Amino acid sequence: MNKPEKLPHFRVVGTNPIRPDGLDKVTGRAVYGDDFKIAGMLHGKVLRSPHAHARIKSIDTRRAAKLPGVRAIITGADFPKPSVAMVPMGEGGYVDMNDTADNVIAKGKAFYDGHVIAAVAADNPHIAEEAVALIDVKYEVLPPVMDVRSAMAPGAAVLHETFNPGAFFMKTHKVLPNASRLELGAGDVARGFKEADVIVEREFTTETVHQGYIESHICTAQWDERGQVTIWTTTQGAFAIRDQVAIVCAVPMSHVRVVPLEIGGGFGGKDTAYIEPLAAMLAKKADRPVKVVMSRAESLRATGPSSGTFIRAKMGAKKDGTLVAADLSFAYEAGGFPGGPIAAGVLTSITRYNIPNVRLEGFDVLVNKPKVKPYRAPGATQSNFAVEQVMNQLAEKLGMDPVEFRIRNAMKTGDRLILGFPCPPVGGVEMLEAVKKHPHYKAPLGKNQGRGVAFSFWFGAGLTSSAELSVNSDGTVQMCTGSCDLSGTRLTLAMQAAEALGIDVEDVSPTIGDTHSVGYTLQSVGSRTTFATGIAVYEAAQKVLKEMAGRAALLWETDPANVAVDRGDFTDMNNPAHRFTFRELADKLEHSGGPVSAQSTVTPERVGFQLAAHLVDIEVDTETGKVDILRYTAFQDAGKAVHPDFVAGQIQGGVVQGLGWALNEEFWYDAKGRLCNASLLDYRMPIALDVPMIDVVILETPNPGHPFGVRGVGEVPIVPPAAAVANAIYDAIGVRMDALPMKPGRVLQKIKEQKSAAA
Amino acid sequence: MATVWIPTPLQALTGGEATVRATGGTVKELVEDLDRSYPGFKEAIVGEGVLVRPGISVVVDGSVVKKGLLHPVGAESEVFFIPAIGGG
Amino acid sequence: MHDFQFVTPGTLNEALKLLAKHGASAQLLAGGTDLIVKMRVRHARPDLVLDAKHIPELNVLKLDGTGLTIGAAVSCRSIYLDERIAARYPALVDCTALIGGIQIQGRATVGGNLCNAAPSADTIPALIALGAMAHLRGPKGKRQLPVEKFCLGPGKTALRKGEMLIHVRIPKPAKNSGAFFLRFIPRNEMDIAVVNAAAAVVLDARKTKFISARIAIGAAAPTPLYVEDAGAVLADEPVSENMIAEAARIASDAVRPITDMRGTIEQRRDLAAVLTARALRGAIDRAKRGNR
Ligand SMILES: Cc1cc2nc3c(=O)[nH]c(=O)nc-3n(C[C@H](O)[C@H](O)[C@H](O)COP(=O)(O)OP(=O)(O)OC[C@H]3O[C@@H](n4cnc5c(N)ncnc54)[C@H](O)[C@@H]3O)c2cc1C
Repeated sequence: MNKPEKLPHFRVVGTNPIRPDGLDKVTGRAVYGDDFKIAGMLHGKVLRSPHAHARIKSIDTRRAAKLPGVRAIITGADFPKPSVAMVPMGEGGYVDMNDTADNVIAKGKAFYDGHVIAAVAADNPHIAEEAVALIDVKYEVLPPVMDVRSAMAPGAAVLHETFNPGAFFMKTHKVLPNASRLELGAGDVARGFKEADVIVEREFTTETVHQGYIESHICTAQWDERGQVTIWTTTQGAFAIRDQVAIVCAVPMSHVRVVPLEIGGGFGGKDTAYIEPLAAMLAKKADRPVKVVMSRAESLRATGPSSGTFIRAKMGAKKDGTLVAADLSFAYEAGGFPGGPIAAGVLTSITRYNIPNVRLEGFDVLVNKPKVKPYRAPGATQSNFAVEQVMNQLAEKLGMDPVEFRIRNAMKTGDRLILGFPCPPVGGVEMLEAVKKHPHYKAPLGKNQGRGVAFSFWFGAGLTSSAELSVNSDGTVQMCTGSCDLSGTRLTLAMQAAEALGIDVEDVSPTIGDTHSVGYTLQSVGSRTTFATGIAVYEAAQKVLKEMAGRAALLWETDPANVAVDRGDFTDMNNPAHRFTFRELADKLEHSGGPVSAQSTVTPERVGFQLAAHLVDIEVDTETGKVDILRYTAFQDAGKAVHPDFVAGQIQGGVVQGLGWALNEEFWYDAKGRLCNASLLDYRMPIALDVPMIDVVILETPNPGHPFGVRGVGEVPIVPPAAAVANAIYDAIGVRMDALPMKPGRVLQKIKEQKSAAA
Repeated sequence: MATVWIPTPLQALTGGEATVRATGGTVKELVEDLDRSYPGFKEAIVGEGVLVRPGISVVVDGSVVKKGLLHPVGAESEVFFIPAIGGG
Repeated sequence: MHDFQFVTPGTLNEALKLLAKHGASAQLLAGGTDLIVKMRVRHARPDLVLDAKHIPELNVLKLDGTGLTIGAAVSCRSIYLDERIAARYPALVDCTALIGGIQIQGRATVGGNLCNAAPSADTIPALIALGAMAHLRGPKGKRQLPVEKFCLGPGKTALRKGEMLIHVRIPKPAKNSGAFFLRFIPRNEMDIAVVNAAAAVVLDARKTKFISARIAIGAAAPTPLYVEDAGAVLADEPVSENMIAEAARIASDAVRPITDMRGTIEQRRDLAAVLTARALRGAIDRAKRGNR
């Protein structure tokens, strides 16, 4: 791995200390969802719709209620109307809470296989499971709508007679049956294509895929006599869960306390309340604490996957290699309720290139699948799969090196983006130059082996974060933030506190607060935690230093203006004999006005763009169509890598998930819309033997929106792999892949088509 | 006068113009100014009271601004309305 | 999981009596790696579970002058870890060593794999190619069946009411013979066969001619399939790529696959040919190297 140069003025940032939670996690001491137990706890199980699309005629719980050991049964009828109709989800995004409530438990209609119909709490999980099987439900089965094209075709069954197109950008947008449509653009596309010397036009499909976090959704809920409910859960965002539970159960937010436990993976899929409102309602009805554990099958069937898509892409370039036009149309599955990653998918499709004439069209399409949820750079992997293949094809037609072609068109700092605003500082050209110079780019390849490249972009998010720092008299510091730690952020935040305060990272003790103990903090999503919560920590540290400088002034009987603070060193500018280290001053706080602590809540606005370029070598078994990954090098701009090993870990994890999309992952529904592969046996994520060591090259173009130059890193690495592998397959055996996953049967089919075309 | 970039769906209102100039001290005042020349503009952007419609983010000089319509703008400011984007 | 009784019989007679008495509501548990999984998802709901691991006859693993006896409760791991067995029956190592991971292999049995009768079961093609016999005991006494006749459909076996598998018996490999098993999976481990195949060949002393061959294909029909014709066509023919291709073609024609989430009919037909050829090449290679 190429480690970034450690800049001389950083003491802590840019180093690789050992994570404080590591030992607890490898020894089993860490408390994950299922490790949490409480006296008197009942066990909840959920009845789910076996039909993809059905009207619920009746639910009869009498037989189930008679089973000894059953303590409570709930159905949609037990839930009130949500207390708020729409809630902001940050960055202008909104969530329709009626949809959220109906997704938690069906009311009248089931919209996908696995949609919750009822839930039972019983003395043990076995009784609860038996009771679930005793609930009699009568359905009127409706025709399922299983992919975007048939959903938009005339005569398709309609999921929702009326729906809220969302939270869907402009009111002027068209609402079709089962879909809403977005259009954005610039310039004049028709004129652009007239200027083009080469044009490539293709269609692509991708399948529904799941985040596949290893820990399923698990929570425990308990009420007290004041009507306050506490929920212990595994989540990416305690406040997000709190807000959703409060609204869906119509309880004041102050009466819902969510305690985040350790999390075994989320990737965007764990900021939605699925079982928490069920556990809360069961616990209320049974008047006992209730734990609900989702099985693997339940989590695959009924928690938000990422959209399957249908994509049309047409792009044109001039002989000299400049892109002149792009006309791109994307249909993303929304699932059973509106609101897929349409804007992000559409916008990220070409944001990294300068193209004067662009038309971008996006459809948010209702289908009888679980409501889609974010999954690492939501929407971008799909659009990248299309655009980066077209880019390679254009380069081939132009006789240009594919990396050179991308350099020619790459957006640079200050260039106008598709929506018009100037590009903040980025290092795209530098990154592509690094790809070209890397030994991997020129390494020899054998028979049936090929190399592919893809270049990708992701926005990242800012959003609200809070942090509190308390200085102990021995000079150590307690740090509490509201950010759930998915990726080592306890440490990257503690490192930023240590850097700002001028102390050792071992002297900062990080904890994650619950919703009653820390300021409002949005989810750990959008690659935002080290960036945005980092700024909250930094701001709190500045307040601490300012207060401590005042105390130094008091002790030295001088004016605070005379105290110079350099990180943790305090000096009296008028008296060189007056010096305090952070630790020395900490010891004197008690007697100079009492202990010092500071809180900060921030909503940063200058998010650094994420760019990545990946190189992959593959080999195709031309008799079976199986693709093996031989070598992988991922280049990424981290702005400033706070903990380079964690950055590498994020990149490697994203690549592995991206390779899963590329090679085998897909939801496989039968004709009735039932998910057949709701297990990790048949939902084929890569295993250790499927991926080589992933080499990581970290570049650093500082983000001026963060005091240390940090930009998010977690999401963009999932974006390039699928396109890079597709380009590598073409390089190896000359077949163009137009569908994900590029599973053996599909590659073999392409090889056979190629053979019969040649014959 | 600040420059407002007109999102594609609203360019029908501005006769196809992608950028227009408007006067005002806040984004809201710019929108109200534009609504006088291009009726319907305000309705497309403004939701309840002083809030932008759900699903829209306001960008002023390159930053997604939290205050949305209330964000102050200068004479040289550039204002954009972009679709909201989530993350994973 | 539902409530059920768990009994650990110490003798074969006790087990047979309980089986006869409880009929279809009783099920034997060997390694439990299929049964417990099915019970957890409510696909199997036996009232009585009989632990097979303490019945002496089911725990025999014996190599003798005429062949190998594998008791129905013997774990996969104890088979492939036995160096003498591994040396004589490398095709058994091919299949027993790829079922699940080490923990699963320590529990899972060849007997359970056979009685579970999955079309994709990984030990069955090798057992068929090696000419194994299933030895059964029931209320009406003992009987034997060639393994290729044991499975009748997905999850269906020739076992009659109250009958159980005692062991499988594999004959001693002939001189100049070799056997090989392989499967095709989309990943590189921990997966279920899209198609699997085994071949056993007997060559002449100069190893240029086939004397006989047995070929079996799995996951390409309702049961693992013994493709007798594909083996028969090789008898007395020279060892050549042409003959391998001919056998592969016959195997590919013989299969009756379905399309499901793991593969399509067309893909499985193609794989039946590719895997037959690869299994034959592997078996020939082993025959040339003294079945190593
Ligand atoms: C993680 C995992 C990975 C796996 N990987 C593979 C794989 O790669 N390939 C593969 O083929 N399989 C695989 N399996 C399935 C399973 O492990 C095998 O089929 C195994 O051989 C079953 O043996 P067992 O002893 O565990 O059977 P059990 O579960 O004990 O029994 C299976 C069935 O046979 C019946 N039975 C058992 N013994 C007798 C008997 N003596 N007489 C009559 N009936 C009997 C039982 O009642 C039951 O119905 C896997 C399973 C798991 C959990």
